[in-house]
Amino acid sequence: MRVSAASLAEMWSSTRKRNRLSPDEATAELLLSRRHLGRHAPADQRTLEMVLAAAAGPATERELAGETAAVTAFLAALPEPEPARRRGPRRLPALAVAFALVAIVALCGTAEAGALPAPLQRLAHQAINAPAPPPDAGVPRPSADVTPGPGAKASTGSGPSQEARTGKPSVSPKPTHTSDSQGSGNGQPTASDNAQSGTTDNGNGNGGTPGQGGNPSGHPTGNNGNGNGQN
Amino acid sequence: MLYGRFVLDGDFPEVLRRAAAGDASAFARLWRDTHPPLLRYLWVSAGDAAEDVAADVWLEVARRIGSFRGGEHEFRGWLFTMARRKLIDRHRYEARRPVSPTGDGELLDRPAADDTGTAALDYISTETALALIATLPRDQAEIIVLRVVVGLDANAVAQIVGKSPGAVRVAAHRGLRTLRERVADGTVTSPGRGGVTL
Repeated sequence: MRVSAASLAEMWSSTRKRNRLSPDEATAELLLSRRHLGRHAPADQRTLEMVLAAAAGPATERELAGETAAVTAFLAALPEPEPARRRGPRRLPALAVAFALVAIVALCGTAEAGALPAPLQRLAHQAINAPAPPPDAGVPRPSADVTPGPGAKASTGSGPSQEARTGKPSVSPKPTHTSDSQGSGNGQPTASDNAQSGTTDNGNGNGGTPGQGGNPSGHPTGNNGNGNGQN
Repeated sequence: MLYGRFVLDGDFPEVLRRAAAGDASAFARLWRDTHPPLLRYLWVSAGDAAEDVAADVWLEVARRIGSFRGGEHEFRGWLFTMARRKLIDRHRYEARRPVSPTGDGELLDRPAADDTGTAALDYISTETALALIATLPRDQAEIIVLRVVVGLDANAVAQIVGKSPGAVRVAAHRGLRTLRERVADGTVTSPGRGGVTL
């Protein structure tokens, strides 16, 4: 197919026209971009510019009359703030449950180690079979005379010791050397018992009062060894 | 020099954030800035139904403003896309269920008690200009209002009306040419809204 020179020139001319705005198109773009044409523009274009400027003019009072109603409708239609409504109820229980779990685990661990304060340890002993607290823990320490301590009083019964009743092994790291307290189960302490066990475990060797030696289970505790400073 | 202006400009992100959090004063600023051009756009396209459609648009904005992301130009594009969809829905609804005019129209057209003469004159001035634009074919009038009144560029308008930027330019240029011819005549007659005299 042959293309004449005239048609080529026409195609080139139309391409140039497409790429370049005509004066009218340039003026139209100025008007559409809200730019002023200047004083030298033809009268009809300036009138058109005035019309467009009026259309884009400042808001009138009548147009803004509905502001109060619009704001009221906005407040009524606005959904609840997302963070306050959704995240609150979901995160709070999760945090509370996590803290509660950690607290329970820590409490159980401490109870199993027998390191809780005596009243709590007693409670744990009843609730989850944790080791019983030492009988002399949390009670006033008796004086050095012959008055038997509560431990001795508690162990005077013929029943088995606390460990024997609960079936839980003693948490004593080392058994005492006396066969009396372990074997008989009546836990009647003697001064030599206490001194012996205390000496073995804690190295204090200062002998104890009958009350202090009244550990029914016969195993050394911190109180047994360390609290014997009252001679 | 530009006529028309963006009121919020640099404040827009903060105003939008506060409005999304339910701040009524921030929403009022957004509304004052955007409602007049929205109303003018809707008036040119929907006539007397403009107020109702605008109220629907702002309700939609209130529900969804929390999820909007973008700057002021994006917000305008979002808002006017929403407005155009509501216009289309309304046109479809009216086409299915034509409403016969009642006496209520006369009541609604009654001027408010606090209207002053100055406000009326100002409104007529803007109204006259919009009435002239409204005599154009609907697509040309819509594009000219979006460009001149709302202040969007050809690409943003193209996204709103679903045409190419080139088609938007052609329609706008044709509309302006027609307007200029009518302005040169001095008197424009609109069959739908009565005559407009410049």
